[in-house]
Amino acid sequence: MNIRRLSTAALLLGLLIMSLAPLSAQDEPVTMTMWVRSINFSVQTLVDEWNATHDNQIELTEVPAAEFVTKMGAAVAAGEAPDIASIDLIYTPAFASAGQLVDLTEYVNALPYADDLSPAHMTLGEYEGRNYAVPFAAEGSFLIYNVDLFEQAGLDPENPPTTWDEVLEAARAITALGDDTYGYYFAGNCAGCNAFTFLPFIWASGGDVLSEDFSQPTLEEDPAVSEALALYRTMWEEGLIPEGAIVDGGENFTNAFASGTIGMAGTGAFGIDNYKTNYPDLNFDVTYIPGKDGGTASFGGGDNIGIPTGSEYVEEAWEFIEWTLSEDVQLELYAGNNQLPVRLSLADNEYFEEDPRLSLAASTLSVGHTPYSLVYNDLFNDANGPWLLMLQVAIFDGDIDGAIAEAQQRFSEIMGG
Amino acid sequence: MTTSLSLQRLSWDQRRKLTGVLFVLPTVLFVVVFFIIPLLMTFGMSFYDWPLFGDHTFVGLQNYTDLAKDRQFLKSIDFTARYTLMITPPIFVLGFILASLVRHNIPGISIFRTIFFMPVVIGLGVSSLLWVWLLNDQVGIINKIMLDLGIVEKAQLFMARPDSAMAVIIISVIWKTVGFTMILLLAGLQAIPDELYESADVDGAGYFQKLRFITLPLMRRTIALALILSVIGSVLSFDQFYIMTGGGPRNSTISVVYWIFNNSFTYFKMGYGAAMSIVLLVVLVLLSAVQFYLLRDNT
Repeated sequence: MNIRRLSTAALLLGLLIMSLAPLSAQDEPVTMTMWVRSINFSVQTLVDEWNATHDNQIELTEVPAAEFVTKMGAAVAAGEAPDIASIDLIYTPAFASAGQLVDLTEYVNALPYADDLSPAHMTLGEYEGRNYAVPFAAEGSFLIYNVDLFEQAGLDPENPPTTWDEVLEAARAITALGDDTYGYYFAGNCAGCNAFTFLPFIWASGGDVLSEDFSQPTLEEDPAVSEALALYRTMWEEGLIPEGAIVDGGENFTNAFASGTIGMAGTGAFGIDNYKTNYPDLNFDVTYIPGKDGGTASFGGGDNIGIPTGSEYVEEAWEFIEWTLSEDVQLELYAGNNQLPVRLSLADNEYFEEDPRLSLAASTLSVGHTPYSLVYNDLFNDANGPWLLMLQVAIFDGDIDGAIAEAQQRFSEIMGG
Repeated sequence: MTTSLSLQRLSWDQRRKLTGVLFVLPTVLFVVVFFIIPLLMTFGMSFYDWPLFGDHTFVGLQNYTDLAKDRQFLKSIDFTARYTLMITPPIFVLGFILASLVRHNIPGISIFRTIFFMPVVIGLGVSSLLWVWLLNDQVGIINKIMLDLGIVEKAQLFMARPDSAMAVIIISVIWKTVGFTMILLLAGLQAIPDELYESADVDGAGYFQKLRFITLPLMRRTIALALILSVIGSVLSFDQFYIMTGGGPRNSTISVVYWIFNNSFTYFKMGYGAAMSIVLLVVLVLLSAVQFYLLRDNT
């Protein structure tokens, strides 16, 4: 009797499993959730195209950039992480080291073009030799300048500044035009904006803020740091930068230049897209961020895409990720929308040939610096962190040495744990 | 059935007590679930290295010993204390003046009471955002008015300097909270019988004598309540700084709660944030105890 009951139970169980099986297999389309920080690149366009052409659907949530890491961390802790996440590449090491991202090494190895993917993104996506994320949106910083103002000030827009002296001269000449024109702009209360646009001034001069293995701060010993701060300080003191810059927490990071009264500013490809789309009359060109006596550098920024731990749809999520990396998508939906392709070999494409400004932006990817740090947020991006405080005390208050000493100490404390 | 039977077996006194317990039960449950349990969890958490994601490890008292070395924490305590000292007197004095003005039930007075109280019912976050826009140098109406009246020559960047940032935050918070102090004090004022003032008039007492010998002594408890609530609110302040200054300029407006928030949700040091919260709780309990003692009812 027991055996008969047991076999009946086994049969029922088998039937139950068989009836459930199709639900978990590929046959049924699934709906995945995806989070992206609010960046200029229209991820919605991308997702709409995917949803229109695939059975598996994606629900996109845009999270304010400043709150992304907090919200993501809280969601992961609560077991409610999305299936796909596009993360500021800077944070990928922190997420990967905490075991919050699915190991994608096998998938990445199977990509025939893995070596062609933006190196900064791939480095940041690695943790202890494994891949946890691949590039999703690429950004490199560069200098944007107003061609009309350059001409009015008697400067040659074909030969933009290549040294700091030339930056300073150009800024003075443009400010001298009067009428509320200013030579330069930076968002003085925005930590991340200035990691993106000010760090390259230091790098381009052969300096750095962190040691080569990213283990120690080098703010005090590297003269390029104080010299770059002195450049900004001079521009601020001489009134070459609008006063409102002191309180700009990033709200006017791109808008200020759009006003047409700013000579030069640091920006990224998002700037080009924004000005081309929304300010068609703005006559601008771009150039590399120069070092003190020449040289160039760029901040390799943008987003990495990964699959948060706990996602039930790893296979399906990877299908989407692989689709975004495909040549067609990279060309038509990325380059075609003024977005830099994340595959280096696609930097030269028909869309960018029409606009050399985008070609220059794309070319910064191969020379972009990106600090690899598990505490990047605490060091550079925190609105109350040591990086922004150093900039403000040095540039607005004029105490360059004091600012650097304080920052060196805070950096050491944070990096020491 | 069984319940009603067993209820019937209870004596009148027992049933009365049971009814009382049932009445307070929802509140007790609410307090236990939303205050006692989180408090115990926070207390437990304060002994751990507890990142927002990843594993947590027991570190004993280290979070507490680290606090003494945290320069920003000490700066935040100093800032919060200064802020509390600066904002409490004007809120109280203005609240008292407003309460005195709207004390008597004359026709139309409720319009004024409503106007003074109105900012209290909007959230502090909303009011802070409102002030951010009122004070904006490009589109803010305050700059516009000052420019038009010739008070200033160019638009002011209120958030660019520590002193002006602090001043405008204090003004905005007074605007937001003074109505609440007014209502509390108004209730206290109205509870004083008119006969006392009438007999004082007969004795020839002036306004300040009546204030000194009748109003203030009889309002001790109300004043204690108003001050304690005001001080607690200031010590726990966060929204106005987070929204209006972002802790700036040069990190000059980071209150203690702001620093707890930063550590917990920006640096993800939840255990450290928990330890700070416990310290803050102890400080608040002590502060309130001192205030209760100083303003105790001697009669």
